[in-house]
Amino acid sequence: MPRQNDNNLFATLDKDEFILLTGRANLELAASVGKILNTEVTCPISSFSDGELRVRIQPNLRRRMVFLLQPTSSPVNDHIMELILMADAAKRASASEITAVIPYFGYARQDRKEMSRVPISASAIATLLINAGVDRIVTIDVHSEQLEGSIKQPWDNLFASYSLLPAIKKLHLKDLVVASPDKGGFLQAAAYAKLLQTEGIAIAYKQRDIAFNDVSNTLGMIGEVKDKDVLLVDDIIGTAGTIVHAANFMKQKGARNVLVAAAHGVFSGDALQKINASGINELIISDTIRPREEVLKNKKITIVSVAPLLAEAIRRIKTGESISKALIL
Amino acid sequence: MKLFSGSSNKPLAEKIAEVLKIEISPIETMIFPDGERRVKLNVSVVDEETVIIQSTNTPVDQNYIELYFIIDALKRSGAKSVTVVIPYLGYQRQDHVFRDGEVVSLEVMIRFFESLQVDNIIALDLHSIKIPEMFHISIKHLSALPLFAERMKSKAFNALVSDNPEEFLKDSILVSPDMGGLRRIEQISEMLGGIPWIATVKDRDLKTGEIAIKQFEGPVKPSDLSEKRALIVDDMISSGNTMVQSAQLLKDNGVLSCDVFATHAIFSEEAPEFLQESNIDRVYVTDTVFIPEEKYFPKLHVLPVAEMIAKALR
Repeated sequence: MPRQNDNNLFATLDKDEFILLTGRANLELAASVGKILNTEVTCPISSFSDGELRVRIQPNLRRRMVFLLQPTSSPVNDHIMELILMADAAKRASASEITAVIPYFGYARQDRKEMSRVPISASAIATLLINAGVDRIVTIDVHSEQLEGSIKQPWDNLFASYSLLPAIKKLHLKDLVVASPDKGGFLQAAAYAKLLQTEGIAIAYKQRDIAFNDVSNTLGMIGEVKDKDVLLVDDIIGTAGTIVHAANFMKQKGARNVLVAAAHGVFSGDALQKINASGINELIISDTIRPREEVLKNKKITIVSVAPLLAEAIRRIKTGESISKALIL
Repeated sequence: MKLFSGSSNKPLAEKIAEVLKIEISPIETMIFPDGERRVKLNVSVVDEETVIIQSTNTPVDQNYIELYFIIDALKRSGAKSVTVVIPYLGYQRQDHVFRDGEVVSLEVMIRFFESLQVDNIIALDLHSIKIPEMFHISIKHLSALPLFAERMKSKAFNALVSDNPEEFLKDSILVSPDMGGLRRIEQISEMLGGIPWIATVKDRDLKTGEIAIKQFEGPVKPSDLSEKRALIVDDMISSGNTMVQSAQLLKDNGVLSCDVFATHAIFSEEAPEFLQESNIDRVYVTDTVFIPEEKYFPKLHVLPVAEMIAKALR
C-alpha cells in the first residue's frame, strides 16, 4: 500500500506566513503598513458596555509570527491595555513569536527616578508587555534608549530619520545648520548633520524646572546660525514649548528659515497655536501618532509616513535580515 | 502600617482609615499635558507594611495602570510588604476563553500583581469561586452577603417591604438572576435559616451580548411564587438588564415585591434610570465602587463595606 504523502501535510503551513494585528490607536498607519506588506490587517478589539476591553483574534495564529501594531499615545492607558490584552490573546492562540511594534512609546519620558518615591513608569510598562507574552519590542525614536535594558528581550529602536530625511532633502535647503533645542538632543542633531552633510551644528541650552513641568527657557546657544537655514531636530513635540522657544531664539540670532523635524507629534495643550505664532517656517512630523484633524489641516505642518520604515522592519524581522545595516541611519 | 489610596474610590479609603484610626498617606499625582500621569509617594515607606486601596472599575485601564505604578513606587521605595485591597476587581468576568482567540484579561491582571511581588490581596465578592485559585498570591476573599442577610433580617427593612413584618422572612423567596449565582444564593439562604430559592435562567447571545430571561429553574415551582416577597441577590449590577428582566418575570408570576441586593454598583450606560423605572422596588448595593452623585436614584440604598475591610486588614 502506498504511503500517504507526508510532505503535503507539512506543505500546508507556509513558514513565511505572519499575521499583522492592530490596536485602535492608529488604524490608518496600520492599513498603510499592511498595504506595503500586501497582507491583511485586523483589529481584534472592541469594548464592553462597562468600558472593559474585549479582544478576540479571529485569524489562525498557530505557529505564526504575530506583529501587534500600536502606538501608546493618548489615551495612553487604554492604548497600553489594548496592546497587553492583544499579546495575551495571541499567546493563548499559540503564536510562535509576538512582536509589539510601538511607533510611539508612551511614558518614555518617565525613564528614571528623577525624585525619590516615584515609579519608573516606562520600565514598568515594558515589563508589563513582556509579562503579557511579548517577545520583542520595536519602537521609533524612543525618548531614552536606556529603556532597551529594562527588559531581557530584544528591543529594536528605529529612527524616523529614515522617513524624514528624504522629505528634508526635497526642500533643497542652502547653508543648512542642524540644531538641537537642548543638550540632550546633541547626538541626534549630529547624526542629522552628518547625513545631510550640513555646514555645522548649533545647540540651544535650556533649563527645565521639574516643579513646573514642561516649562522651558532657552538660555544660550553654541554655534552660528546667522543667515543660515536652520533645521531643528527633536524626538517629541509635546506642548511645543521647547521647540518654539528654540526656533524663536534662532530667528533672533539671525536665522533665515527655521525648519523643525521630529518623529512624534503629540501636540498637547495649545501646541498648535504656539507653532502658528512662532518663527517656525515648516514642521515635518511623522505619523507614529495618528494626526488629529487640526494637525492635518495646519499649513505649517507636513506629515511623512513611517509606514515604509515599519513595513521594512517587519519584513526583516520575519526573514532574519539585518535591521541595523539598512534601517538605522 | 501605611495606608494609600488610588484615585478610583477615595471616599471608601477614607472610611477604612477612619475605622482603623490612621491617616491616609498622601500620593501626589502629576498630570502631564498629554494625559500621562506620574504618581509620587509623599512619605517614606522603608521597612513599612503598606496597604493600597484601589477599585479597578471604569476607567478600568487607567485605574489598573495607576495601581500598577503605585505598587512599583512602593516596591522601589523599600516597602516591607504590599497589601492590595481591590474592592472591585476589574476584568474579572474575562476569567476564561469563552470563544477561540479571546484574551483571558483577568489572568493578565493577576500576572501584574505577581510580577510586582505583591504580598496580599483582599477582594470582595468575586464573580466566580474559581478566581481565588488563579492567584499565586495569598488572597482574602470577602463577601457582602452577611451585610445583606443582616439587612434582610432587620426590622426596619421588614417593615419597609411588608405589611406583615413579623412574617416577612417566611413570605420571602431568594432569587438568583442566573444559574451561575447558585453558590451565593445557597450561602445567603443558610444565613437566613434556610429560606427557599429559585433561579431565573439567563440566555446570552455570545455575539451580540444580548440577554433574555424567560424561565425559572430550582427547587421552587413558578406557581408557588404568587404572594411571595422576592429578594434577588447577585454580585454586580452592570447595565441592570439582568435584574430588570428577572424582576419582570417574577412580577409576571405574581410576587408582591421585588428587592435587589448586589455588591458592586458598576452602573454602566443608563443603568440608574433603567432600574428606577423598572418593576424593582428597592436596590441595595455596597460602596466597593464609588457612585457619583449623578448616578444616585430614589430606589438606591448603599451599604458600607469599610468595617469589613478594616477588620480584614487588622
